[in-house]
Amino acid sequence: MRTRRAAIALRLVLIVAGLGVAAFLYAFPLYWLVATSLKGKAELFQSITLFPRRPTLESYYSVLFDRGFWVLLKNSVIVCASTVVVTLAVGLVITYPITRLAVPPQLRVGVLNWALSLRFLPPVAVVVPYFAIVRTLQIYDQPIALIGIYSLFNLPFAIWMLKGFLAEIPLELEEAALIDGANRWSAFRQVLLPLAFPGLMAAATIVFTFAWSEFLFALILTATPNAQTFPVGVQGLVTQFEIIWNDMAAAGVIAMAIPLVLMVIGRKYMVAGLTFGVIREK
Amino acid sequence: MSRLVAELPAPTGTKPVRAGRRRRTRQERLAYRILLPALGTVFIIVTIPFVLAIWQSITADDGTLIGLRNYAKALGNPLFFDALRATGLYALIVLPTEILLGLAFALLVHRTVRRAGLRATLYVLAVLPLVVPPVAVGVVARLIYAPGYGVLNYLLQGVGVTHSEIDWLGVPLLAMGAVASVDIWQWTPFVYLVLFAGLQTVPRESVEAAQVDGATWWTQFIYIELHYLRPLFLLILFFRVADVLRVFDHVFILTGGGPGTTTQLLSLYIYRIEFKFFDAGQAAALAVLVLVSISILYSVVTRALPLERA
Repeated sequence: MRTRRAAIALRLVLIVAGLGVAAFLYAFPLYWLVATSLKGKAELFQSITLFPRRPTLESYYSVLFDRGFWVLLKNSVIVCASTVVVTLAVGLVITYPITRLAVPPQLRVGVLNWALSLRFLPPVAVVVPYFAIVRTLQIYDQPIALIGIYSLFNLPFAIWMLKGFLAEIPLELEEAALIDGANRWSAFRQVLLPLAFPGLMAAATIVFTFAWSEFLFALILTATPNAQTFPVGVQGLVTQFEIIWNDMAAAGVIAMAIPLVLMVIGRKYMVAGLTFGVIREK
Repeated sequence: MSRLVAELPAPTGTKPVRAGRRRRTRQERLAYRILLPALGTVFIIVTIPFVLAIWQSITADDGTLIGLRNYAKALGNPLFFDALRATGLYALIVLPTEILLGLAFALLVHRTVRRAGLRATLYVLAVLPLVVPPVAVGVVARLIYAPGYGVLNYLLQGVGVTHSEIDWLGVPLLAMGAVASVDIWQWTPFVYLVLFAGLQTVPRESVEAAQVDGATWWTQFIYIELHYLRPLFLLILFFRVADVLRVFDHVFILTGGGPGTTTQLLSLYIYRIEFKFFDAGQAAALAVLVLVSISILYSVVTRALPLERA
């Protein structure tokens, strides 16, 4: 009896210790990023301390204004917001007919499968031709090039999410409007769109988050603050010969702050978006 | 608090009814009128690059046809096989670790945490890493592993594990471990969320019946829960493999592919051929090779995926 109780106690201790290690590994990197960003320039030349000696927002000011990264932040917002608009518009045009109209099931399955296959497309495999196309169209180093490509790569997520949201709205509501004499367009605008609005917002936050994180295309297709997005600026701080650690950390904090704020709205849909609707919240 | 569940399509034995040759309904014609322009445009935008990549791969810079010379060059480059090996090793470290850790957490929380509030908190904590830009995670990793100012050596020396500076990013295997650790930090929560949701679909009656029969933690998992999780493992593998093939950002920031070419994954390799060696022909050949292999892989696995396509 005593050995059995000891075994249970031992198992408990092991589990708690394991969880402690996991919690530390999870949280410490985030803590360390924020802590480093709060250190002053003078502290970088002293020995490492786990807490900032005199916390200051100096590095944030330095990144945003001395280095002019607020321009990159502005570019990122413009590119991501436009991407959201284009992606959702195209996504709605594609998902409306397959969810709201009587179409053969093969058509619906075909469109969804095709969108899914786009998800598997590795960006680096199309970087070479896209680079050539963007140069030919003379939109190199312009936001429009990024907006186009981001919209394309986020379309699969938008299509699968919108399909889920639209399919949940009863067909009868639109039909009632049609019987009352509304045409398809006004039924869509006045009945379906308001009902689909929460779903649209969810898709918007997720597309915005993905576009915000994108780095490879932004690195290749931009060259100056005219179109460079924030992640490109962050990368510029990292690969310099001499790294200014607190500035780099502050840039990292700013880069992750916006998606985290958006997740306050979109967290319920994040997993559904990433798994194409397999995992849902009920 | 709402529950997180997995929604799998019900297995159907019947095929969709073929309507045969019949008149298209008005709704159907409207559907095609809306769909065709949009799908056509997207299709062209997607297809042009493929065609262009093929064209780039079989021509020289001045436009003359050179046959498969670029492919021979791409396949004859020993660095290509280094990149394949690095990508394979990366996947071999990252995928099993993420799946086992995610599964362990999912089982632990599923069986021990009953409070809805705590479950909701864990959900938020698990979603958080998923939305952090990989570039920012790369920055964090740099702050941890970098020689000189890296905090990991400081911590290890503080605890007394080591007294020397370990060059985490300068030793091939350690650098690969460092790069992989970033992926594990960011994506284990995803595995956890998917498997946890899957566990919610296990019917309570069968678990209770098994417990009455004296099933232990382990037998309950092997004989009941695993059965419900199987399609989700496939889903996780599908998405994670797709992601491993596109990994670029955090490796670029943390090691840039080094030391040497030990962490130069496939995506970094193609990037380097195109933008550092300016060999567009060889890069295009590589891109075509990657696209063809991925299409084959995709067509094999896609049917098995548990997605609701109707």
